[in-house]
Amino acid sequence: MKRKRGLISELRAAQRKSLVFLAGISLVLGAAISAQAALLAEAVEKIFVQRASFSSVAAVLGVLLAVMAVRTLLSYGNGRIGLYMAARAKTAMRAAVLRKLAHASVPVALRGQTGGKVSVTLDAVDESDSYFSQYLPRMIEAAVIPILILAIVFSQHVNSGLIMLITAPFIPIFMVLVGLTTKNKSEEKFTQLADFSGTFLGSLQGLVSLKLFGRTHHQQQEIERSSLGYRDATMGILRIAFTNTFMLESIVMLSIGIVALELALQLLVFKSLSFHTAFLILLLVPEYYSLLKNTGTAFHNGRTSMGAVRKVEEMLTGIREGEAPTDGDSGTGKTGGSIEIDLADKADKPERPNLDVLRMPLSIGMKDVRFQYAPDSFKLSASSLAFEPGQHIAIVGKSGSGKTTLLHLIAGLLKPTAGEVLVNGYPLAQYTEASWFDHVGYITQHPYIFSGTFADNIAIGSGRDVTRSEVVQAAEAAGLAALAAELEQGYDTFVGEGGRGLSGGEKQRLALARAFLKRPAVILFDEPTVGLDLQTERILQQSIAELASKATMITVAHRLYTIRHANRIIVMDNGAILDSGSHKELLARLPQYAEMVDAGRKGGFA
Amino acid sequence: MKELAILTKAMIQERKDIALAIIGGFIAGLAGVILFSASGYMISQTVFAPPLYTLIVLTSLVKILGLLRAASRYAERLYSHRATFSLLSRLRTSFFSRLVPLAPGILGKKRSGELLARIVGDVESLQHYFLRVAYPPVIVVMVFLATVVFTSAFSFWMAGLFVLGMLTTAFVVPGLVLLGQRKIHGRVIRQRALLSAEVTEFLYGFRDLKVYGQLNKRDHQLQRASAALAAEQETAARNLLRGQSLHTFVSYLISWGVLALGSYLIMDGSLAGVYLAMLIMASLTVFEEAAPMATLPAYKQESEHAAKRLSETVHAAPILPSQPSGVLSVNQGISIELDGVSFQYEDEWRPALRDISLHFPAGSKTAIVGPSGSGKTTIIELLLKLRTPTGGQIRINGVLTEELDEASIWRASNVVLQQSHFFRGTIRDNLLLDEEEYPDEVLSAILDKAQLPNKSLDDRVFEKGENLSDGEKQRLALARAMLRKGRLWLLDEPTSSVDYITEKHIFRHLMKEAANDTLILICHRLTGLEEMDCILVIDQGRVVEAGTYTELMEQQGYFYEMKLLEQEMIGVNGEFR
Repeated sequence: MKRKRGLISELRAAQRKSLVFLAGISLVLGAAISAQAALLAEAVEKIFVQRASFSSVAAVLGVLLAVMAVRTLLSYGNGRIGLYMAARAKTAMRAAVLRKLAHASVPVALRGQTGGKVSVTLDAVDESDSYFSQYLPRMIEAAVIPILILAIVFSQHVNSGLIMLITAPFIPIFMVLVGLTTKNKSEEKFTQLADFSGTFLGSLQGLVSLKLFGRTHHQQQEIERSSLGYRDATMGILRIAFTNTFMLESIVMLSIGIVALELALQLLVFKSLSFHTAFLILLLVPEYYSLLKNTGTAFHNGRTSMGAVRKVEEMLTGIREGEAPTDGDSGTGKTGGSIEIDLADKADKPERPNLDVLRMPLSIGMKDVRFQYAPDSFKLSASSLAFEPGQHIAIVGKSGSGKTTLLHLIAGLLKPTAGEVLVNGYPLAQYTEASWFDHVGYITQHPYIFSGTFADNIAIGSGRDVTRSEVVQAAEAAGLAALAAELEQGYDTFVGEGGRGLSGGEKQRLALARAFLKRPAVILFDEPTVGLDLQTERILQQSIAELASKATMITVAHRLYTIRHANRIIVMDNGAILDSGSHKELLARLPQYAEMVDAGRKGGFA
Repeated sequence: MKELAILTKAMIQERKDIALAIIGGFIAGLAGVILFSASGYMISQTVFAPPLYTLIVLTSLVKILGLLRAASRYAERLYSHRATFSLLSRLRTSFFSRLVPLAPGILGKKRSGELLARIVGDVESLQHYFLRVAYPPVIVVMVFLATVVFTSAFSFWMAGLFVLGMLTTAFVVPGLVLLGQRKIHGRVIRQRALLSAEVTEFLYGFRDLKVYGQLNKRDHQLQRASAALAAEQETAARNLLRGQSLHTFVSYLISWGVLALGSYLIMDGSLAGVYLAMLIMASLTVFEEAAPMATLPAYKQESEHAAKRLSETVHAAPILPSQPSGVLSVNQGISIELDGVSFQYEDEWRPALRDISLHFPAGSKTAIVGPSGSGKTTIIELLLKLRTPTGGQIRINGVLTEELDEASIWRASNVVLQQSHFFRGTIRDNLLLDEEEYPDEVLSAILDKAQLPNKSLDDRVFEKGENLSDGEKQRLALARAMLRKGRLWLLDEPTSSVDYITEKHIFRHLMKEAANDTLILICHRLTGLEEMDCILVIDQGRVVEAGTYTELMEQQGYFYEMKLLEQEMIGVNGEFR
């Protein structure tokens, strides 16, 4: 098994061509820098020392201008390559993240903060930009050009070359020292900064409470105090960083000074050097040191960027590990943050028995199903269950007993860790997702309303092209006709994010309308637990009954009505099936069941 | 530019640090220019074989200048950062005080979290304004001017060339970049917002998308949006890069001009040849000092954008008139009358309350029930003057709320909101919000009444009460309300996360405390309502039923059905454990 490579090196490898280009351009750029210095020195020498005529300098001046233009173009070119690499890397990374998200299993997708995932997809990926657009080009330039300059200086004047060679290592060493002393502390500060803006955010959120209790003034002072406290703490860190930079700049200045002094001595005392050479070296020295200094800034940017890439990498790895192993073979080679740009689609089950068309009616069964989100976490086991076509099943149990997990397993939204869910006698995993979901309707407690028109939101249920009249029919069946009439553009009104907001009950009814349009053979229903309006409650009961008249329905039940009308009730406790049977049977033999059923009444009359 | 007025004001208050930073930057820049000019001059001087001591003086000068440059750069960094952080703290406080009168009005109903996060982020991003936009040009221009004065001593034309270079690099090039940036910037932001919205929707709607077989389609859409964003970002960055390259080329061009002009002037005899190398070194260095000018447009854009949004936030809300002088007495029983009151949230398309007329007599106990989103909370917000009705009138003790000082209403009320705010500190700190003194025994007794016997007064409370469970937060909020002396109790689902036995105990104490007061209770469970003087049933912003428990049960209307429905619920939520 190949050891996984880091995401960064993988992304870098994908851009090898660009990197070669960068190196090539940097080499020419180095030549241009040296040529510019040489031509400048040449011109000054001619004018000042040789007192040549203007026309004889004109040629040099012309070439110099051309070299300057070329130098600008070359660094522009390097910049462009950097931007190109950054754009490609960002697109590739985001594509990998999005693909991971799209192929994640439902619990993984629903687990954790959506905000955090969005932030990784957008912010972290964007932050990685400077690694490619700044760090790589600068590092390559710094690896190529100073060596070239050093070679030229050596060829002209060994002593200056030696000084430059000896002083050069101090700069990266100092950079590392600066990094080491401030790194941990500054990272700590950044967390503090985050906490601190959190405090500010918290105060804004609590503004109403603060007003009511007359504490706004007090809180304002608090904000100011902690803000200034934060400033002083940060300044402490920055002072160290600035002192280090001060030392660094002193070293550079001192080195330039030493070179200059040495040049002057050579010129004046030993007379072993021409003005031309001395001036050339004097021009090259600052270029040399500033390139080395640039690596420091680039290094800093690069580190932040690499941190961002690591965040992306963690997310890619995290999603993978959180996923239950599916078909046995995907657990092998590729773990971790490999981005699998072209492999991802293959993971989508290549071969399959010819079970694309499901025979009706459907029978569903479970065989020794075990499921676990992660090792040492909640475990679910359902040894064997069989549902006849058209049966109505209710799942009951305390919260956290595994009702929804069981529903997700039957729906195929979760893959069992062991055992099989059987549809018409074949494992569910052998059908294509599309052919199975074609026959499944899932009405969740919190149906999602997509930003789009009201009609679009209903039509999404069918998965095919539907006429307006079909949509209207479905909406009417779900008791949405009045709402559609109230909306100013009727069925063409935009709803969801940025559009018209719908109430909880209306969302529920919209989910029903989706199901009415689809007329699925299997209905999965997560019954609402909280306060819907009476109209929705009534419609919910009637419509569900109508929808389920020709379908298998599996309900996570919260209503007495539902369980009374169910053919079979499955009682879950702590991830296991406690018992199953009809309402009467269970009342008679399972005390926990009786207690559970009675609780609503007890609460009501207490 | 007027958006940055707040910032400018804050900057004036930090003038000392800013002045020091500018002086530091100026000295550093100038020292750099002199340092390299001196080196150039020194090398040129050697041609004339000067005495050794001039050389020693010059090299010492170079070294001293080098140290001076590094030291003043240090000072510049120190003071400019200190100024920035002080600015930020001033901005935060000033913003907070500006937002106080606007809450909760500007927060709308949805997306308030997003708005607040944006405010925080925008204030943060304003720090770049001073550090990278406001003061670098000042230093660049000052260093340039000093260089111009210096060169004018040698040649008028040379000085002219420097002025030209200064104008181009400090104004023309950044201006050009800014022009390009303005056009592209909006596109990047839009594309980014689009992608962000789509990713969010993708994640929230994941299960529905999967069941409806839409995942692949959405995935492709997202990939396209992502590629488009990267392309827009590249275009924007390219514009900035072009600006930087243009800056470099202009600086080369000026140095070249110095060389060409210099050689002409030397041949002309109006400039001594020994100064040529010095002038060239000066021009190369002075433009390096101007390098921050090339990145300025990007930061300028960003800070302007942030400042604009912030000032929009503050100015979007109507300017509130100063509070009227009407005062609600704390000692008197409180009666409330609503007359045809309607309310609509700004970002909603239908009213939250429609034509509500109600009377709460002094000392009455009223429960408000109804499905979520029916407008119950809005009534309490209107009574507290946190929002202004879009229609109708509210009278408290016969006085229109418009004529009452909001603070006096708050003082007269004991409020528990759905979301209570807690501070970092102790339980005691959080109980004594209104800064009155109580002996510890009273406070402990209150904790007992609120069914929090396990908490001691000195227990720590984290930021926003993060170490408390939802039920504990609610009970602490109730204890806090019970400590107050108002005669109006406004309780918005105060026990929704508390089990029903505890709830019963709390209500018993509450009813005793509020025996002679007016009490309005929004509740999510229909239990314990038998003692209420009146139950209001609200649906879709209207009062659909009102009456005592027995009356409503006999009517067999909305309330009765809700009650039946509640009994239908089986105990699966672990609430009744």
